[in-house]
Amino acid sequence: MASVRSGRQQPGATAPVSHAGDGQVQGPRDGRARRGAGGRARSGLAVFIAGGILISAVFVLPLLWEVFRSLQPESTVSNPPSGASFSHLTFDTFRTLLSGQDNILRNVVNSLIVGVLTALLTAAVSTLAGYGFGLFRFRGSGLVFGLVLLAFMIPFQAVLTPLFLEMHFMHLLNSLIGLALFYTTFNLPVGVYVMRNSFLQVPREIVDAARVDGASVTRTLLSVLRPLVLPGIATSALYAFLFSWTEFLGALSFMTNDSLFTLPVALSNAETGTYGAVNYGLLLAGAVIAMIPCIVVYVALQRFYVRGLVSGALKG
Amino acid sequence: MAATEASGRAVARDGRARAGRLRPRRRSAADRRDARAGLALTAPALLLVGVFALFPLGFGVYISLTNWPLVGPYHFIGLSNYSSLIHNSVFLQSILFTLKYTAIVTIPIFVVGYALAVFVRSNRRGTTLFRTLIFLPYIVGLVAESFMAVVELQPNSGTANFVLSKLHLMSNTTAWTVHTGLATTAICILVIWFASGLTMMLLMAGMQGIPAEIYESARVDGASWWSAERRITLPLLRRSVALSLIISVVGSFLAFNQFFIITDGGPGTSTESVVMAIYQTAFADTDVGLASAMSVVLVIVVGLITFVQFHYLQRDSD
Repeated sequence: MASVRSGRQQPGATAPVSHAGDGQVQGPRDGRARRGAGGRARSGLAVFIAGGILISAVFVLPLLWEVFRSLQPESTVSNPPSGASFSHLTFDTFRTLLSGQDNILRNVVNSLIVGVLTALLTAAVSTLAGYGFGLFRFRGSGLVFGLVLLAFMIPFQAVLTPLFLEMHFMHLLNSLIGLALFYTTFNLPVGVYVMRNSFLQVPREIVDAARVDGASVTRTLLSVLRPLVLPGIATSALYAFLFSWTEFLGALSFMTNDSLFTLPVALSNAETGTYGAVNYGLLLAGAVIAMIPCIVVYVALQRFYVRGLVSGALKG
Repeated sequence: MAATEASGRAVARDGRARAGRLRPRRRSAADRRDARAGLALTAPALLLVGVFALFPLGFGVYISLTNWPLVGPYHFIGLSNYSSLIHNSVFLQSILFTLKYTAIVTIPIFVVGYALAVFVRSNRRGTTLFRTLIFLPYIVGLVAESFMAVVELQPNSGTANFVLSKLHLMSNTTAWTVHTGLATTAICILVIWFASGLTMMLLMAGMQGIPAEIYESARVDGASWWSAERRITLPLLRRSVALSLIISVVGSFLAFNQFFIITDGGPGTSTESVVMAIYQTAFADTDVGLASAMSVVLVIVVGLITFVQFHYLQRDSD
């Protein structure tokens, strides 16, 4: 341990990191010079913020750069960068993309329909199931819960082929509803897990009081419990929406009619190009459009997302 | 883990029910109401999982024993799909490639994610913002980012070549996606950048669950930051470490989007992942039987990985 401690005195690359955890401990130890300690804490904070900005830049600048690139005309995107890349910015690519022959507005709407439907279905089904598993005793409850969580263990990528045939028989191929049902199923493990925990956290007295007052099962859920489990509902809906919006393989397999393509599938079609000519400007603008709802939804609702992570319910 | 917890609770419930037998009639009426309501409430979830997950799983096993083409009649052919897999060079190559890819990205994702988690776990000013920004690539999703990578990896016009040629590291005409090595490198960098934010969030959540008093008493005993990290954080974090590693390993093993979009499996089939091989076999070669046999193998492998995960998690929570 002594050697480790001596290592600490060397100001190394990990300096901002080591400051992150132990700023408080240094206080009493360096108490002899209060002004010095305060200055150190302040410079520690400056180092931390500088480091944070640098690290964040690594993760955000590429995304910002793509937004910037999507504002360049297509001739700039598919030619070697030059001074012109920075001087001439335009919304032309977006205008072309959302009107005219390469219209992807319909695909954006498809993605939105599937995303919202998936979020609503996941929230509704998970809430009911979480209510059932959390607050009702019934024979086979453990078995049913285990079966629902089993979908956790089954990667949807591995059931895609039989599911394709099955959905064909059920006339759910080329159907936005079919796609939403598929997405909902594979969001249920997370949703049901989160909702069951939400209902388990409801104080027993509240449930009992509602029962004594003669409230029905539905009434108890709608008027007594709803506000208490609302954060859980938001968490499961948020996960479901983001999953649906960014999903590609399922949509690629189950949608063959281009008017029903979701945005990623439409972009993949654009990438293949017409007669080998790919419009990279349009591809980039399309990817930027695909990125925006995720960022908006996440930034607005991130505390619900983090709740889900903390409850350990996530599986990629 | 959760399933055992649930059955444990079921036992507790039985105990409670038995204790309540003093008033048998009212109890059983309430019990019946509970049982009906419980079943009715959980039925939609069970129905969806049954129709869209469990049935296809069983159906897939059945199809894998046939020579099912996408359209037309089929015969039962026993295990021949499985025995032909042993000689199926495309499938074997895709497994090897996926294993190699998983081996390359797992450790960097974990190390970068761990370092980021250490950085953002405190409650200093700015941490929440840094967390959000670092996590954005994961939220945006690999699909949109793969399309961006396609544009930026173009020879002569992509940003990657532009920057690297200015730094005299690469020629401006490097065609990233037609060289197996270059394409794999680019995709691995993209994925590490994309996924380390998730590992960061998972590990950070675990780190914040460790009581601060443990660190304080360690510091009183004179433990340095590094030894506290090694002797307190890592052991207490085993659950989160296992979770994040398994999520990233399973995720890598099921990779599809980035390879389909950026290289389309090429050059040749050298960057074809397992899921891509299954997709091609089913929808391009229309050999649904063979594709299902591949899927069954995949389910078993992923199931094993997940089983190891649950095993670790359960052992730790005891």
